[in-house]
Amino acid sequence: MRSGPDGPSPNFAGRRSRTALGDRAPFHQRLISALYTIAGIGLFFAVWWLAASQLPRSRLVTPLDALGDLWANFLDAPRLGVFGLGKTGYGSLLLYTLSNVFIGLLTGGAVGVIVGIASTRLKFLRAMVDPILLVLGTVPILVAAPLFLLWFGVVPFTQVLLVAFYSAIMMVLFSQRAAENINPVYERWAMTFGAGLGLRVRHILIPGTVPEILGGLRITLASAWGLEVFAEILGAPSGIGQAIKALTNLNNVPGLLACVVLVAVTAIATDILLVRLARRIAAWA
Amino acid sequence: MNPSETILSVRDIGVRFVRADGTPVMALNSVSLDIFPGEFVCILGRSGHGKTTLLNVIAGLVHAQRGEVRVMNRPVTGPGVDRGVIFQQDAVFPWMRVEHNVTFGLRVRNVSKRERLRIAREYLTLVGLSSVARAWPRELSGGMRARVAIAAVFANDPPILLADEPFGALDYVTRRQLQAVLRDLWRRTKKTVLFVTHDVDEAMMLGTRVIVINNGAVAEDRAVDLPMPRTDDDVATPAGLALKHRLLHHMGLE
Repeated sequence: MRSGPDGPSPNFAGRRSRTALGDRAPFHQRLISALYTIAGIGLFFAVWWLAASQLPRSRLVTPLDALGDLWANFLDAPRLGVFGLGKTGYGSLLLYTLSNVFIGLLTGGAVGVIVGIASTRLKFLRAMVDPILLVLGTVPILVAAPLFLLWFGVVPFTQVLLVAFYSAIMMVLFSQRAAENINPVYERWAMTFGAGLGLRVRHILIPGTVPEILGGLRITLASAWGLEVFAEILGAPSGIGQAIKALTNLNNVPGLLACVVLVAVTAIATDILLVRLARRIAAWA
Repeated sequence: MNPSETILSVRDIGVRFVRADGTPVMALNSVSLDIFPGEFVCILGRSGHGKTTLLNVIAGLVHAQRGEVRVMNRPVTGPGVDRGVIFQQDAVFPWMRVEHNVTFGLRVRNVSKRERLRIAREYLTLVGLSSVARAWPRELSGGMRARVAIAAVFANDPPILLADEPFGALDYVTRRQLQAVLRDLWRRTKKTVLFVTHDVDEAMMLGTRVIVINNGAVAEDRAVDLPMPRTDDDVATPAGLALKHRLLHHMGLE
């Protein structure tokens, strides 16, 4: 993050350094990076295509077949109606999943950050929180999800709560680590300016932990997608997980792959948005 | 304040630490000092002999088991705006732009935004950083960040400035430049400065008085009767060399 003690940092002349959050690199570097990404995606589809050409259609279809299914069923997928999903398409089911992921991530993440940061400054809270985290963090989703379904029923709230629950646990850990990693000299310096605890939390602890917390939020977001889809497969009134469950029962390989591609693309898009937001919020890092 | 009245008095300070292996260490043993307004006092000593501990006790960051520190006749119970501190470590907040770092203390004291910016511009100009007021600290060199720290502390206008080897990690040229910046600001503002260093030449170049701390106790307390501002030639006079030998002797070198 910092340059040496007496030498100018390499980005002093207006160039911006790269950080864990992906600070902007020069154009030619970004171009090369984009070409590698395109090559990676191309390689993935080539392997998929090759595998599909060797396997029967009942096992694997080509990327074009999957994309064709996605196009045909995005707004209206009549075959899903028989599974109690009503008149729906992949698009509206994805919207349900997306909103649950974000509501769960934001509520759970907010609780996690507050508890995580507070527990690094309040010893009694740390002593209370750590054993609870240790126990709850080890509960597998395969155990937690059926319990949540039994307690709260097959309603959207159940999936949101499940995502919020695991997001909170992860964000407590990320926030604790972020707050512990802040150099104590910053708080000591703020104290010599007369800053009390409230001002130190506002001006030192919160901005100082932002980059690491946002890094943790990216990992939590990726986990939240998996948790939400899994929770929907186990039981939900809607969502892309329910479509995956229905399409599995129908042995519909193109539909299944279409849903997987849809979730993957949306998850990557939300991650890119989060990275851009992080760059803006933590421009100093 | 009457120059004959002490601005800072340290009475019989004793600080004891216990190492991880359980061994007790006497960091300061019965240290007493009287500091007068406008003095530039250099606290000189070898590493691990208690000079930083003394500064931290005066800053209110370390609690002494014995004795008392009084600033303007009020007992020190913790850090306060009457004692600005420049640390050896880089303490400039990386998430605040340079000008916001300089105005941080003023924000804490609820000084109006217009006044804050006026003061920030004034001090950034004095330390030669007016062109990088909107820069992030990561875009500056170590020497520039040390200037930001100096500007931030002076902008908050504390009567006493405590500096703990602030230029220790800098190269020789940058160190000399920053010594000149600090000396000029001190002459302009007439603040009382306590400057911790292990460098005899630095102490003789800056100080109006030098206190040598050896094994947690005051080994020498002497006024530096050389012209101010000082040049290398002033320090190389017979009087300067005699003082240097004396200080080195108390540091256990001659």
